[in-house]
Amino acid sequence: MATLAQQIVNGLVLGALIGLIALGYTMVYGIIKLINFAHGEVFMVGAFGAHFTSAYLLPDAMPWYAALPVLCVAAVAVSVTVAVLMERLAYRPLRDAHSLAPLITALGVSILLQEVVRVFYPGATAPLPFPRVFVDSQLTAGSLIVQWTGVLAVAVSPLLAAALHWYVERSRLGRAMRAVAEDPDTARLMGIDLNRVILATFVLGAVLAGLGAVLYGIHYGQIDTTMGFQNGIFAFTAAVLGGIGSIRGAMLGAFCIGMVKSLAGQYAWGGAQYDYVWVFVLLILVLMFRPQGFLGRLERVRA
Amino acid sequence: MLEVNGLSVAYGAIEAVKDVSFTVAEGQVVCLVGANGAGKSTTLRTVSGLLRPRRGEILFRGRPIHHLPAHKVLATGIAHCPEGRKLFATMTVEENLLLGAYLRRDHDIARDAAHVYELFPVLGQRRHQKAGLFSGGEQQMLAIGRAMMARPSLLMFDEPTMGLSPIMIQRIMDTIGVLRDQGTTILMVEQNALAALALSDHGYVIDLGRTTLSGPGRQLLADPRVREAYLG
Amino acid sequence: MTLDRPPVRHRKPAAPELPGPAAVLLRLRAPAAAVLVLAGALLPWASVVLPGGAYPDLATLQFFDAPHLVTGFRLHLVLLGLAAALLPRARKPAAIGVIAIALVHMAFLTGLGALSIGGPVTLAAGALLLWAARAEPPRPRMELKTPPPAVAWLVLLVAFAALLWLVSATLTAGGQSRATNPYGGAEFLAFLGFGLAVAGVLSAYGVLAWISAMSERHRIFSIAVLLGCALMLPFTQAGTGYWMTVASSIGVYAATAIGLNIVVGLAGLLDLGYVAFLGIGAFTAANLAHAVPFPVAALAGAVTAGVFGVVVGSPTLRVRGDYLAIVTLAFGEIFFRAAQNDIGGLTGGANSIPGIPPINVLGLAFNEPVGGLPGGSRYYMISVLMVAGAMAVLANLRRSRTGRAWLAIREDEDVARAMGVRTGRAKIVAFLVGATLAGLAGAVFAHKLGTVGYESFDFSESVTLLAAVVLGGMGTVPGAVVGASLLFVLPEKLREFSDYRLMLFGLALILIMRFRPQGLVSSS
Repeated sequence: MATLAQQIVNGLVLGALIGLIALGYTMVYGIIKLINFAHGEVFMVGAFGAHFTSAYLLPDAMPWYAALPVLCVAAVAVSVTVAVLMERLAYRPLRDAHSLAPLITALGVSILLQEVVRVFYPGATAPLPFPRVFVDSQLTAGSLIVQWTGVLAVAVSPLLAAALHWYVERSRLGRAMRAVAEDPDTARLMGIDLNRVILATFVLGAVLAGLGAVLYGIHYGQIDTTMGFQNGIFAFTAAVLGGIGSIRGAMLGAFCIGMVKSLAGQYAWGGAQYDYVWVFVLLILVLMFRPQGFLGRLERVRA
Repeated sequence: MLEVNGLSVAYGAIEAVKDVSFTVAEGQVVCLVGANGAGKSTTLRTVSGLLRPRRGEILFRGRPIHHLPAHKVLATGIAHCPEGRKLFATMTVEENLLLGAYLRRDHDIARDAAHVYELFPVLGQRRHQKAGLFSGGEQQMLAIGRAMMARPSLLMFDEPTMGLSPIMIQRIMDTIGVLRDQGTTILMVEQNALAALALSDHGYVIDLGRTTLSGPGRQLLADPRVREAYLG
Repeated sequence: MTLDRPPVRHRKPAAPELPGPAAVLLRLRAPAAAVLVLAGALLPWASVVLPGGAYPDLATLQFFDAPHLVTGFRLHLVLLGLAAALLPRARKPAAIGVIAIALVHMAFLTGLGALSIGGPVTLAAGALLLWAARAEPPRPRMELKTPPPAVAWLVLLVAFAALLWLVSATLTAGGQSRATNPYGGAEFLAFLGFGLAVAGVLSAYGVLAWISAMSERHRIFSIAVLLGCALMLPFTQAGTGYWMTVASSIGVYAATAIGLNIVVGLAGLLDLGYVAFLGIGAFTAANLAHAVPFPVAALAGAVTAGVFGVVVGSPTLRVRGDYLAIVTLAFGEIFFRAAQNDIGGLTGGANSIPGIPPINVLGLAFNEPVGGLPGGSRYYMISVLMVAGAMAVLANLRRSRTGRAWLAIREDEDVARAMGVRTGRAKIVAFLVGATLAGLAGAVFAHKLGTVGYESFDFSESVTLLAAVVLGGMGTVPGAVVGASLLFVLPEKLREFSDYRLMLFGLALILIMRFRPQGLVSSS
């Protein structure tokens, strides 16, 4: 029983974290029908941005409530910068290109970013410890252990998703995003500057990824260059599972994925070494049998 | 007001518009008629900046606009009500109208929306419903209303009566007349040449990507060549 | 999504005629640049003495004493400079070659802190030449007449022999060991730049088109000669044990890349887990190696991989486009994880499967030297035959009914289906053929290495294979071979950059999609 509860808690935290990445996938796919492989890397560079700030810029003896906001700002700034550069330099020139080109480019961007950080960031060839800039203690109930950082992630992530949802539904820019997602040509006739709206979508996704990176870092206590790719795949799976293009769906899907990985690692055949595999099996099954996901509409699914 | 000279537009190797020239004077209703595939819609899409011309020029109030992206063309005062209505089906009536006013930053947007609801009461009654649930005629009204929200000085209609009942066609044509009377210049593309030319101050016949005939609307209506080709 | 059609570019009008002296100066650009290239080749490049390798023994103008002793990249520069001076059409490719050579050596010399004036002068000359070439009006394409068969055969023979020499020279350019030549990487890259320039010059004069037209007309003859030339490689200066091993590795990956090219290039189905099929073939053969002779093991590897290809391909019946790419990625990762954890005791997990015997035919192990040939040269020959077979499969499929179906699916699947193409069957066949080829290559891979471990089949290998296909040109027959050769030779040559390997592949994917989506080997 205690193990089950513990695994559920772990799954919820993981779900909350990959949910923040999944939002970026779902928005970009919704608007330009691109699987932005490199979005996981936007998350990863955010974590390294925060790490850099903490390791090289901030004084050592800074209380966590002062350091945490600074690290969030740093992570978001780095993530947004990278996302903007990749949209402007890699994706925008390919807006009209044939179908495989943007996807192959996305793959290239992903590898490039991963490798640049691995090769040039001091010490990044191995996992780096992330500063614990939050209440570094835990709740215990019997044998159940809940980190406060986990509580923070589970609380903050749905709030951010709700804020994003509200923004997309209510604001002028959000309306423009939905218009572009539905019919780009007609959106242009409304006076919407496609490039600006697309860029704004990348920026929003990057903000969430940057925040997610800090939450990830303080919860797991270490970061590495592959965290973006792995969690990016989980997040993409979550976005598809929930119904790509749907913000609520991405969150829902993320919690499902978190649970599946956590519970399968404990109870399924093969144990923790195969938890990753079960997520992929789920991904394949979803793509094959319910590509529109829980909350997606069928017509959104790309030919 | 709008002057199109020697326009040529191609999709890849296929030249859909070969040599189209026409002018629209301020306050007029001008109509382009022609068979399916003659290049009328392509012409409008090029004027509104969705497509780039291969040759030729488009002048609006004397300034070239053929190099501008669509959102800048709209900012100069040209709105385009596209073929097939192209509403945002998952959004409400109100949201569609607000998107029509996307570029505006003034405080009269609500008043203009009220004006649209006045013109088409059915839209006002159902303003919070999704546009996808509406009938063809109602959708066309919303499409017109949405285009009006940009407060254009030149409003382009692409096949506004396509697929509508005769009563609805009359209703739409009347609305276009009202817009003209309120001072909006109209450029229209229609296969329904009879209704369109009757309303138009000036008409152009486009055939296989070229302007072949032009003249005042009623004169074209009487022209035997036009009658034979398009009115049967 | 459909947005702007690509804008039609209006050609810039020719610059207005300039008055007297300015016009003369402009016209003198090209000859001046050519002279400057020659001067650059003879100037000192390094500011201190760098023993051995490409750079002069002394950082002086000693080359003016003995210009006939000019060798290596300096000789290449002299040749390019002469070409630019004498052949107007050669200017642009020559300029690109000169710039490439200058940049490569400058980068290395700057890294060594020994940069002298030769490099900068040559770079400036190359830039001037490029400027002059770009300003010239476009010339009509050169067309050479096809000669009678006897002459054509001779020309083809010479051309393919030259190709063999080029391949051998490229492989050995810069040597194989950092110990004997610390500047090998620079020499190799500079040689590639020269090779590119030569190809450009030949193409500008229509020679390449002429040869390819002749080889198209005399297909059988060309294929036989080409195959013969490829098999002759062990007899050239590249015929050392080391280069034979490298070349046969390239062959294995090239055959795999051809399989991927069928799936991605012809059928337009992006497969991001393709290396798993190579792995399945390798593990199958490894497990059978002690029980059955090589041909049986190879067949088993191919068949097993083919079966898995059908399994992985079956989602294509329901999933398309980007989603399919993700499904294949998921399959690839599942394979990797399973192999890592030694699933069913078949993969050895972290211990790999060691001790796979070399291919043994008629009691003769393939890893031992035979006659005057080094060990490994027979693996090379096997891989050449395998690549040739794969190319033949690809070329024939392209022209077949299935190939046309793939083409239709790649362009627009819905239209293809509406026209009566059995899209599901065609897509599964693509996966089947591609996977079978990879499985076969995997079997050779296992025997050649003697050890198979899961690390050889991770995601980065799939990316490298994809990069090879994209670089060479999706859907073209020689594309995958050229791409695979480049991507697997470069890391051998540039060991000092091995840490940057994947980074550069990522960059290459982005740049190719942006600037040359049709790849290197493509006339369009």
